[in-house]
Amino acid sequence: MDRAEIRGLCKRYPSFELKDVSFSIGSGRITGFIGRNGSGKTTTIKSMLNLIHPDSGEVSFFGLPMFGNEAEIKKRIGYSTGTVSWYPRKKIRDLVAIVKRFYDTWDDAAYRKYLDLFQLDENKMPIELSEGMKVKCNLLMALSHRAEILILDEPTSGLDPFSRSELLEIFTSLKHDGVAVFFSTHIITDIEKCADDIVYISHGKIVAASSKDDFVSNYSESGESLEDIMLRLERSVLNA
Amino acid sequence: MLNILRKEAGLSASALSYIFIAFGLMFLLPGYPILCGVFFVTLGLFQSFQKAREANDTVFSALLPIAKKDVVKGRYLFVCLIELCSLLIMAITVIIRMTLLRDAVPYTHNALMNANFFALGVAFFIFGIFNSVFVGGFYKTAYKFARPFVTYIIIAFVMVGVAEALHYIPGLEIVNAFGTDHLGFQLGALAVGMALYLLLTILSLRSSCRNFEKLDL
Repeated sequence: MDRAEIRGLCKRYPSFELKDVSFSIGSGRITGFIGRNGSGKTTTIKSMLNLIHPDSGEVSFFGLPMFGNEAEIKKRIGYSTGTVSWYPRKKIRDLVAIVKRFYDTWDDAAYRKYLDLFQLDENKMPIELSEGMKVKCNLLMALSHRAEILILDEPTSGLDPFSRSELLEIFTSLKHDGVAVFFSTHIITDIEKCADDIVYISHGKIVAASSKDDFVSNYSESGESLEDIMLRLERSVLNA
Repeated sequence: MLNILRKEAGLSASALSYIFIAFGLMFLLPGYPILCGVFFVTLGLFQSFQKAREANDTVFSALLPIAKKDVVKGRYLFVCLIELCSLLIMAITVIIRMTLLRDAVPYTHNALMNANFFALGVAFFIFGIFNSVFVGGFYKTAYKFARPFVTYIIIAFVMVGVAEALHYIPGLEIVNAFGTDHLGFQLGALAVGMALYLLLTILSLRSSCRNFEKLDL
């Protein structure tokens, strides 16, 4: 069952255009949203979250259109950006005390569990955290209200290989709990390691949206790795 | 709505917004343009806007499980709460000056505006201008606040100057009434000030909700 449906998103800026972006996010699956810098990943994610307004297209979660069901949908999704932190000089504990009141699904046991798992100190402020720990802090908030779908914008950017690997393992464990994970990245090995599905965007246009296996079988030439495929596809788009 | 107000008061608000409520006590100062107290209260509120912007509050709030327009309503609610707290102080001060301190020499020999219900009505009006010009102007972008704040400062000080000068115009001496003199006029002026405050705030809130809904964050 699809947790999210994105249909025909279009957004025109003076120097960039998102063209007819469509894909879906399946329940209990990890979807890697890949594309080079400036390809439209963040614009797409912001459109999904109603932070920017597409010129046309529809976004729905859990079968409900975002428009008119914003509050209910946001209670069931978790969002994180890799490097941005909110209220950098407030203690995590104080931020949580405010945020948890917005969620009737807030689970203090889950909060404690992920606090331990991520080895976060709730008396620290985001400004005192490394980039990797900031990602974990955002994830902590998202997971403590039992989000059914996680939308993560470049969560592995700026992380060291160990933290990246650790984070990808967390994604896999969440997937087994039925959580849909949708994360954008430009690091192909992240996709190779844990994604079930791939949504590949280039110059504002979806080039492919399928399972990873289908993607490889459809686009691979003579035993290429996923990275080789991506680089070749990106070059062919540039040369077109 | 209570949750977003709690977020505004606990996370977004600068301590100065609370401390500057005390500038309502400037209504006690003789020989001083007392309406400047209103400006200082709004200066404290401006600090909260600045602090919230530095903390990426707009996107943080927009991602909370509430409708986008509720983010704006929460901020207006907080602003009005601070303003009403300072207006309460000003009102108490006005009543003290109109009754207990009615004959106090520093107030009877006051060249500037007296603290009366007319002054309180003008205070309401200036807060309404703040909500309309500054808060409404801020939500056109949810980012830029220099131009709306400078515009507000100019209008607010022109208003203070006009209010201070009014009682020197022949026939308008009653705006500077002492104690309970011309009480009917004074209460009428207060009611007009309150109505303008409500009108400006509600119109500004509506337009800010519309603008914020259209913004790309």
